[in-house]
Amino acid sequence: MLLLKLLPAGLAFAILQVALRLADDADLVRRLKAREPRAMNDLYDRYGRLAYSLICRIVRNPSTAEDLVQETFLRVWNRVQSFDAERGALGAWVLTVARNRAIDHLRSVDGRMEAGAIELDHLERPGLFAKLDSAALAMDRVRRLKSAFEKLTPAQRQVIELAYYEGMSQTEMAERLKQPLGTVKTWTRSALKILRDELAEVAIA
Amino acid sequence: MTCQELQEMFELYALGVLEPAEKGEIEAHLARGCENCSQALASALALNAGVFTIAPPMKPSRRLKRRLLTSVGVHYPGWGWVWALGAACLLLVAAWLGIEERRRTYELADARRALLESNGERDRLTQALQFLSDPQTRPASFGRGQTAPPRGYVFLHPQMGVLLIASNLPAAPAGKTYEMWVIPKGGAPQPAGLFQSDGMRALHILSGPVDVAAIGTVAVTIEPAAGSSAPTMPIVIAAPIGT
Repeated sequence: MLLLKLLPAGLAFAILQVALRLADDADLVRRLKAREPRAMNDLYDRYGRLAYSLICRIVRNPSTAEDLVQETFLRVWNRVQSFDAERGALGAWVLTVARNRAIDHLRSVDGRMEAGAIELDHLERPGLFAKLDSAALAMDRVRRLKSAFEKLTPAQRQVIELAYYEGMSQTEMAERLKQPLGTVKTWTRSALKILRDELAEVAIA
Repeated sequence: MTCQELQEMFELYALGVLEPAEKGEIEAHLARGCENCSQALASALALNAGVFTIAPPMKPSRRLKRRLLTSVGVHYPGWGWVWALGAACLLLVAAWLGIEERRRTYELADARRALLESNGERDRLTQALQFLSDPQTRPASFGRGQTAPPRGYVFLHPQMGVLLIASNLPAAPAGKTYEMWVIPKGGAPQPAGLFQSDGMRALHILSGPVDVAAIGTVAVTIEPAAGSSAPTMPIVIAAPIGT
């Protein structure tokens, strides 16, 4: 509290806000683990709309998106016992599960399901999210990312969208875009670097 | 590949879009416990989560939350209480309307009954006026000189019958009625109809032709509600018909 008094008001407020949100998420995870009836309600209120927006962007069908949101939250509910309440980033985990459910759906529609489903399952296990910065979805980071995303060239933005929202490998992107694999890899690498550097600046600031 | 080269692919690895060879190499490297790469993977997951939030904001339907909470056994009140309250109000309104309708039906029945009674009374008064205005009507009085009422008149008409008008006639006791008798000269009393008094007055008509000359007395007794075939004493009214 003494530290907060020494900081400029705006910065102190931002730190306090993040701290409160993190405390909220840790408490929410504890309540989810205890199977408190209101916990699922609060989890949905906090991340339901974000998950739905993401899934809608991927599957582009509101009815399917609602089914997949339900599947997402049930999966979180069933696996939350392995989630580290003190260190994990709950929001990042929920959104990763949501994105993977939607990509699984797309792949099943496209007939690229079998191996991918197991792979995505492996990449959303709660243990992976234990070392994440709990402020992964802090407003400032999201704002910076959005701004950086808008700075990408159309080609860079296209490969990022194909990877994040269509679950395509770089080989698949090259086929789709009718571009050499090397070119696609360059676009992807440079786009990710821009996004990464933007977040690094937030961390340094 | 070096740690640096591998780390450049961590976002794609976390998205599950790497080719099997690249993926295998990353997993083998992470399995050796490289702390730097483990931290870089966490950063990649955080970046990915941030990109997921860039999707255009959309609003799910209300029923999704209800569906979800129900699926984990949580009761979700939602707007159900509004519907329940609305249904309860509708039930109350329906019950009130039912009661009002029933009350109105009773009032209409009462009004109809009163109208019928009023019509009956009017017909009787019309008939009584015809009695009184016809020159063939022969009057007789009763109760005069008696210390206790009732008093009144009896009118006899050979075609119209017998009209009794009584005043100061109290209402018959509960379960009882007044019965008029026509007593021929030297003969047995003949029942001439049942009637009630309003507590003060009574008007009763025996319709149909009568032999006026043969009638000796018109009398009234108190009888059970269904009437009697022979008069029960005492006689309340006795109107002797003079020759």
